[in-house]
Amino acid sequence: MQNGKTLGEPLLEAREISLSFGGVKALRGVSLAIRRHEILAIIGPNGAGKTSMLNVVNGFYHPQQGTITFKGETRRAMRPHQAAAQGIARTFQNVALFKGMTTLDNIMTGRLLRMKRGLLWQALYWGPAEREELAHREAVEKIIDFLEIQAIRKIPVGRLPYGLQKRVELGRALAMEPELLLLDEPMAGMNVEEKEDMCRFILDVNDEFGTTIALIEHDMGVVMDISDRVAVLDYGRKIADGPPDAVRADQAVIDAYLGVSHG
Amino acid sequence: MLYREAGQFKTSYAADQAIFTIPQDRAAFWILLALGFIAIPLVASEYVLLTIMIPFLVFALAAIGLNILTGYAGQLSLGTGGFMAVGAFTAYKLTTALPGLDIVFVFLLSGLVAAAVGIVFGLPSLRIKGFYLAVATLAAQFFLIWLFNKLPWFSNYSPSGVIGAPPRAALGLVTVTGAEASPVAKYLFTLAFVAILALAAKNLVRGRFGRSWMAIRDMDIAAEIIGIRPLNAKLSAFAVSSFYVGIAGALWAFIYTGGVEALAFDIDRSFQILFMIIIGGLGSILGSFLGAAFITLLPILLDRGGEALGLPVPVNVLTNLEDMIFGGLIILFLIAEPRGLARLWQIGKEKLRLWPFPH
Ligand SMILES: Nc1ncnc2c1ncn2[C@@H]1O[C@H](COP(=O)(O)OP(=O)(O)OP(=O)(O)O)[C@@H](O)[C@H]1O
Ligand SMILES: [Mg+2]
Repeated sequence: MQNGKTLGEPLLEAREISLSFGGVKALRGVSLAIRRHEILAIIGPNGAGKTSMLNVVNGFYHPQQGTITFKGETRRAMRPHQAAAQGIARTFQNVALFKGMTTLDNIMTGRLLRMKRGLLWQALYWGPAEREELAHREAVEKIIDFLEIQAIRKIPVGRLPYGLQKRVELGRALAMEPELLLLDEPMAGMNVEEKEDMCRFILDVNDEFGTTIALIEHDMGVVMDISDRVAVLDYGRKIADGPPDAVRADQAVIDAYLGVSHG
Repeated sequence: MLYREAGQFKTSYAADQAIFTIPQDRAAFWILLALGFIAIPLVASEYVLLTIMIPFLVFALAAIGLNILTGYAGQLSLGTGGFMAVGAFTAYKLTTALPGLDIVFVFLLSGLVAAAVGIVFGLPSLRIKGFYLAVATLAAQFFLIWLFNKLPWFSNYSPSGVIGAPPRAALGLVTVTGAEASPVAKYLFTLAFVAILALAAKNLVRGRFGRSWMAIRDMDIAAEIIGIRPLNAKLSAFAVSSFYVGIAGALWAFIYTGGVEALAFDIDRSFQILFMIIIGGLGSILGSFLGAAFITLLPILLDRGGEALGLPVPVNVLTNLEDMIFGGLIILFLIAEPRGLARLWQIGKEKLRLWPFPH
């Protein structure tokens, strides 16, 4: 443990996950645990299966083999909207925002699961429906403040620069108040300053809300700085798993990154 | 102190969530309403009420319906005419089967039946998208019109197939359908109905439902990971859209033309409503009104314009001219401004706010 926080029992446990697309074996018997309150970094060369692993966890891909236990419940596969309902949120490697909607509306969509008023109430926008909308608006405004994006509230996200879009996407995931947050290369394509901001947000989310985070990242400096634990994938296999320093010194990992022959 | 601050926050978000955040817009809205409910009935001729204002309002309602489905939820539909026919024939069956039922409930029930039919024909949208969905809705269009023509039950076995709308009162107060209804009563009833439904639509699209529709439209993958069920989002869009379109069909038959016939709701009608939302603005309630106004007024303006210039345009030339102008405009809008007149209006307002300083 780098910062001395205590990690809980596993929140999520993936066991012996195998996933292939036709002839391509994206994952080969990967087992991976994510413990409560930790920041887990998943690293590995391009095409190693990192994104595939996240897609399996949030129900996007259905593995041919293996099981996933989340909050004590074991399953083979589920739909992404069910994963969302159980408290798993994520962002994408290539930003997946609702381009025609404003920043505010994008983040408000993160609250949809929590909004209950039916069609008639909504059409009237009166009484309980209005109160519900305003309560969620307040929650979303807190996230907007937290991410320091007040100035772009009313701008359609399609017009924002890439770095800000990534931040809005994080905001939408946070609005879901997830227990497990999956971030696929949250800092890709950012300049140093933007990366520092994003690191700060991730650490704060983990610290203040106790959110468990699994993130994929290529920038080793970032990985060493913010993660509690690092798992390394290579050619669909997990080749290392442990504290950042130990993983960095691991011979198999060094070989994988230097491209030494694979068995 | 703390309590006050919390209160402040709340009122400011409430104000921010309002439909019209700018006082001038709000004032313009009330002036428009006053014009519609007070000035127009006082000064407009029967001709203007019956052949311009009423069809404009009915078109606007149908356009709102289609805009919910196509503009907000991104599901292209060519079945608008068919769903209008469902509303019109349901209203006819209801008024004749239950003569005591108030026309307001007749129209609302017609909308609900159209919504149910919309859900059924919306089912393919769970599997297919874009062009293929458009073809599926086209099939719905042809099937529904065929059905209403084929089964005499729908027209109560009328030998001519032409059926008149029976006279009925709204809320037990004034007669608004049938030959005896006064043009002013017809107009005010239509206006009230359309105004209330438009407000409801505006509330829906800026709330939970509207956001889930737009999310499905913009990126269905991301919509699913935040917990939106594509099934619910798409089918609710089909249902609400068809509800509006169905009521528009019932109003068309009962108040505008005074008779129910399937021919009025053929594929041309579907395209006409689609053109309205393209020209007026996809994903905009205001745009639905602008598009409807444009398409209602253009032929009249062309006609009058020709007369004013001393060149009376023959009717056949006029329709051709209309088609050419629509065609040209649709291509222009699709290429240059997919969000239509409503977007141009917004840009104009933004410019005006900065005037005379160019940013
Ligand atoms: N939907 C898919 N269809 C076919 N093949 C896929 C699909 N998704 C992933 N793959 C393949 O699975 C392998 C692992 O891909 P994945 O995207 O998980 O890698 P990654 O570790 O995220 O790589 P990167 O660092 O480039 O993002 C690759 O060979 C990829 O081509
Ligand atoms: Mg990837």
